[in-house]
Amino acid sequence: MQKLSTLLASSVFAVTTFSSAMAADSAVTIVLSEELDIVDPCEASRSNVGRVVLQNISETITELNPTEGLKPRLAESWEDKGNGTWQFKLRSGVTFSDGTALTAEDVAHSLVRIKSDKISCEIGAKFFGGMELSTNIVDDLTIDITADPAQPILPLLLSTVTVVPAETSMDAYVTTPVGTGPYIFDEYARGQHIKLSSNTNYWGEKPTVDSATYVFRSDSAVRAAMVAAGEADIAPNIALQDAVDKSMDYSYPNSETVYLRLDHAIEPLNDIRVRRALNYAVDREAFVGTILADGTLLATGITPPSTIGYNNSLKPYAYDPEKAKALLAEAKADGVAVDKEITLIGRTNNFGNVLETMEALLAMYQDAGFNMSLKMLEVAEWLEHYSQPFAEDRGPEIVEAQHDNANGDPVFSMYFKYATEGLQSGINDPKLNDLIATATALTGDDRSAKWSETFEYLHEEIVADVMLFHMVGFSRVNKRLDFIPSIRTNSELQLSQIGLK
Amino acid sequence: MGDLLRLDFGMSIRRAEPAIDSVLRGFKWTLQLALITMTLVTVMAIIVGSLAAFRVGGLFDRIATFCSLIAASAPDFWIAIVAIVIFSVNLGWVPTSGTGTPWHWILPVSVLFIRPFGLILQVVRGSMITALSSAYVKTARAKGVGNRPIIFVHALRNALLPVITVIGDQAAGLLNGAVIVETIFGFPGVGKVMIDAILQRDFAVVLAAIMVTAFAIFVMNLIIDILYAVLDPRIRY
Repeated sequence: MQKLSTLLASSVFAVTTFSSAMAADSAVTIVLSEELDIVDPCEASRSNVGRVVLQNISETITELNPTEGLKPRLAESWEDKGNGTWQFKLRSGVTFSDGTALTAEDVAHSLVRIKSDKISCEIGAKFFGGMELSTNIVDDLTIDITADPAQPILPLLLSTVTVVPAETSMDAYVTTPVGTGPYIFDEYARGQHIKLSSNTNYWGEKPTVDSATYVFRSDSAVRAAMVAAGEADIAPNIALQDAVDKSMDYSYPNSETVYLRLDHAIEPLNDIRVRRALNYAVDREAFVGTILADGTLLATGITPPSTIGYNNSLKPYAYDPEKAKALLAEAKADGVAVDKEITLIGRTNNFGNVLETMEALLAMYQDAGFNMSLKMLEVAEWLEHYSQPFAEDRGPEIVEAQHDNANGDPVFSMYFKYATEGLQSGINDPKLNDLIATATALTGDDRSAKWSETFEYLHEEIVADVMLFHMVGFSRVNKRLDFIPSIRTNSELQLSQIGLK
Repeated sequence: MGDLLRLDFGMSIRRAEPAIDSVLRGFKWTLQLALITMTLVTVMAIIVGSLAAFRVGGLFDRIATFCSLIAASAPDFWIAIVAIVIFSVNLGWVPTSGTGTPWHWILPVSVLFIRPFGLILQVVRGSMITALSSAYVKTARAKGVGNRPIIFVHALRNALLPVITVIGDQAAGLLNGAVIVETIFGFPGVGKVMIDAILQRDFAVVLAAIMVTAFAIFVMNLIIDILYAVLDPRIRY
């Protein structure tokens, strides 16, 4: 009996020690929803990679702050030299975690690397598609960057480019990222954790948090439980049903927009009446506050409403199944094959309650008279339907997708999603290509107006897709931290912005 | 074939390392998890099943049967989440998930324990009821042999053959990867490695995982066959 008491006492002591050790110092534990397959900075636009790497290990040339706008980061200043060329003055005294000094050569190398065809870097494909970048190194800390066609918001675009040393391999992903950021990549125990520690040679202000451990739990309930139990400090992404503790849980517009991408090349989706019918058949408001969170907004464009040029005069298509049926009948009378089976393709685990959302959409479409079936696919297979090149023998497909743009400008979305050559575009429309190219080249109010016109053209004139929702995200934050999630939390988690209470 | 013998399944396209390294790292965890769980399950199921069979229809037998039926039919994922909420969040006795200390093993092992325990207990009970009603047990009783030797020496050895078959089957399932438990508890076992590889289309890892687990199951079946011969001298190959 005495042995049992001793065992129990030591158990309680060990567990107490285990829990309090987590909370005692300035180390934080962050629980992510999936393990990182890649830790290369050129993939930092992917949300889970970005939350570890972006601005923690690897810094960008400029930085977009949600409240203050575009700010210097590795570049101290920049100047438009005309003809698509911008000159950037780099910060002096910056060193990489391997001890080498940051120079213009590193920036030039990083720009070539993100567009290298030997590795597939998402930053290059997503933000720099359809343009050529060239560089001229003026001196160690000055570089001219030229975009063709000219990019008047090139400094904003460069807020996505992570800078790596010039020695970084051009044809393979790095497994130990080296950067200039406030943290150093210490260890990746596959399947278990990633550890970062503070960079004592960091050029900027010393952050409060000394080190961070990232662990991976795919179940939202477990992530929420870890923070509640004090084992983790931040769960950046938890499901609606797990965000039940007002003292720890935060909701925020997460810059994600859910929509249905239509393939305009295949009958019957090539008929505008069918595309309008697809829009009228959806009762968008029925989703909000039921299977999607309160605060979810109905979308009319692919970027969040805070983006410049977002056309607030556009109204979501009203739920009108009778009108949808009438449009289908009209198209059928003109010989459009509206009875052809359409495949509705969803991405498993794309967001909380995605399956329920897709099933509800399917039911609404079937009620409106569409011959439709649903396929839920894992990400790799889903991408084969979502990204070009598309299969030649495909049937009519509608692909559900969620797009993230927290960068404040539609240029980060439009080419990628709508231009003929855009990686995830289902449209070939010369006028739309012109609109995107023109808006991309403009500045100020003209730029905003042209983007607004583009949004209207997409939504009203060609009915490009079925816009659904601007989403709301939920994070759980340990009460010991001074940290409030923002729209950027969806794509990055700067440890240097975390304080301790 | 030469590559197979050298365990060279190629490089993982996602992890930038040989596929076999990813799999063996995961398999090490799964093997430990399976060994600990099956050892506990075997010992507990044999003791409880044997005692339940000794007084068929008695209170202990009824409770054991009721609990084993519930255990055998309870869904892993539900038990895992409920256990985390009760024992980690509310009581704070054990960590929710992960690895690192012996305390991290308690919830995964406990959750994995439940279903095989229910199944094997039922088999032990049924097999022991048959053995305890056999002629050699009656003879032993007539000779004045005590209850404990009758159960654990005379009857159990003869009742174990079907039990070993079920234990082997359950252990093979665990070696193949306790996917749900590994996923929920963030346990880096081979089941999770395999599922992640399938989702990422990392076929070199999938191939390596299938070969390694197939080999483990082959070894497991070999051990079972050897145990048959050890327990019953009449069985010879």
